[in-house]
Amino acid sequence: MSDPILSTAGLTFAYDDVVALSDIALEVPPGRSGLVGANGAGKTTLLKLMLGILQPGSGTVQVLGSNIPADTLKVRSRVGFMPEASCLPQDQSAADFIGYSAELAGIPSKAARQRASDILGLVGLAEERFRPMGEFSTGMAQRAKMAQALVHGPDLLLLDEPTAGLDPEGRDEMLDLITRIGDLGINVIVSSHMLGDIERTCDWIVMLDGGKVLRQGPIEGLSDQGIAEVEVLGDASAVVAALEAAGAEVRWEGRHIAVDHPDDPFIAVRNAVATTGATIRSLGARTTSLEDIFLAEETHDE
Amino acid sequence: MTSDGYLYDLGYQPYEGEHLGRSGARLAIFRDGMRKVLGLRRRARTKFLPWGLFLIGVFPAVVFIGIGVIGGQFGVEEDTLFGHSEYFELSGPIALIFIALASAELLIPDRVEGTIQVYASRPLTTADYLGSKAAALVALVAGFMMLPQLMLWLGLGGLSNDGFLSYITSHIDDLGRAALATTVYLAAYLPIAFAVASLANRTSAAAGAFAAAFFGTSPLTAAIVDQGGFDIVALGALEHHPRYVRDWIFDANNNPQGWIPERAGYEPIVSLIVILAIAAISIFVVVRRYRNLR
Repeated sequence: MSDPILSTAGLTFAYDDVVALSDIALEVPPGRSGLVGANGAGKTTLLKLMLGILQPGSGTVQVLGSNIPADTLKVRSRVGFMPEASCLPQDQSAADFIGYSAELAGIPSKAARQRASDILGLVGLAEERFRPMGEFSTGMAQRAKMAQALVHGPDLLLLDEPTAGLDPEGRDEMLDLITRIGDLGINVIVSSHMLGDIERTCDWIVMLDGGKVLRQGPIEGLSDQGIAEVEVLGDASAVVAALEAAGAEVRWEGRHIAVDHPDDPFIAVRNAVATTGATIRSLGARTTSLEDIFLAEETHDE
Repeated sequence: MTSDGYLYDLGYQPYEGEHLGRSGARLAIFRDGMRKVLGLRRRARTKFLPWGLFLIGVFPAVVFIGIGVIGGQFGVEEDTLFGHSEYFELSGPIALIFIALASAELLIPDRVEGTIQVYASRPLTTADYLGSKAAALVALVAGFMMLPQLMLWLGLGGLSNDGFLSYITSHIDDLGRAALATTVYLAAYLPIAFAVASLANRTSAAAGAFAAAFFGTSPLTAAIVDQGGFDIVALGALEHHPRYVRDWIFDANNNPQGWIPERAGYEPIVSLIVILAIAAISIFVVVRRYRNLR
């Protein structure tokens, strides 16, 4: 794995007596990563620790190779943060505020204005840039929040619940935007309680629950169980018998047959179909949704 | 024959230009603070109060200049108009109201609207944020208080029997005293206003509480002190401390009854110490409130 964008060891943080994060050890690679968990799982706390807004109770945090809290200002100069709650002044135009946000990162005034114009175009707010942000819809406000996080050209973007409050269309657009930003070479960490959002946009996932890491790893393969799922046209009993004779474990799931085999279930299916002369309608790997994995991990943890 | 044309979609470009660092960020907050207080680049209604107060504070000095220029031709003398320390009796209360409104406007919307989260994600410290906001207000209030003093100085020069140039050169120290008095007013008002604004969530409530604390303590403490026996209460007369110190600076007496601390037997230096002590406590409160920014 190339140098991680986030690395923690033994990270613990508590709000007075309430433990928000407990002994967290993470290695998040470059790219688009998802931080997923229910409300109160510790996602926002972790983001605030990454920005140095909160100080670790114990343990270490490294962001883009720099230590928090020692190098907080250095980290902040390379990171953009889109908070979950509103952060937009209601009586200012998007152009003014995004330009000001760039200046807060040290970009000279003239360049900041140009940058603001470019980024507002990138997030799809070019037409609305001179309107007071108090008049923005939720979707437009989310885009403006994204623009303030992007305007200074960060190496890492932290997005806290970027689809919160959006209708299905707005959510789709926001997820497309996140994917596009990741494709531009900017590292992204998306915090969300919507597993579907993470599944759609990220390559790496960190599952948090009750301040602990349930699971972390690449999304690809996470939902692949190594089981073949086949649908046979007509009577499938001959195929099932052939599979069982070859040592496969077979289970009916509606019209589909789930096939597990100690070697390769797909070869077992191919051989059974060839032997019986059956016709198949579909064949593929059986996948499980991240929701199922999350629930299974939670149950296992208990 | 035409040459082949190419279209390049540059898309997103990372910023690789000049970086001004924290000093650039501080300057940005300073400029934004000034704009916010004056209502610039904001809706028309936000401009009404600050500019109205500014005009009320400066207008009499403009009239003075007029009198200085015209009246000089008709034998009006300089001591028929009020002087530098007296002018603070007009500009001081206006500055107090201005600071009450401006401090609330500078700090509270950032917290209520959540913009503080943007500051917290930028390479800034609490001192950068608060210092730059305070500097914006100091610059405006100092300008607001010193501009009429400057006009007055020129106006009085115009009326002087010694001649304009002779007057302004021999009375240059009046401007120094005015600058010192302005600093005292700022030290007396601004830290408390910031402390109140750091604790309140509504701009009107913060401005009202601040103004009430200053204007309300004078009659209350005066009533107790004048009864006799509780002189220490005079130290709570927040609004009289800067005026007492100002008269000390100008070696003037603008209150024939005596300022409340004066009536309780305290020297002006005690008022100055009270101003500085309250300022220090207020700054501690504000910094503690914003400690999570860095």
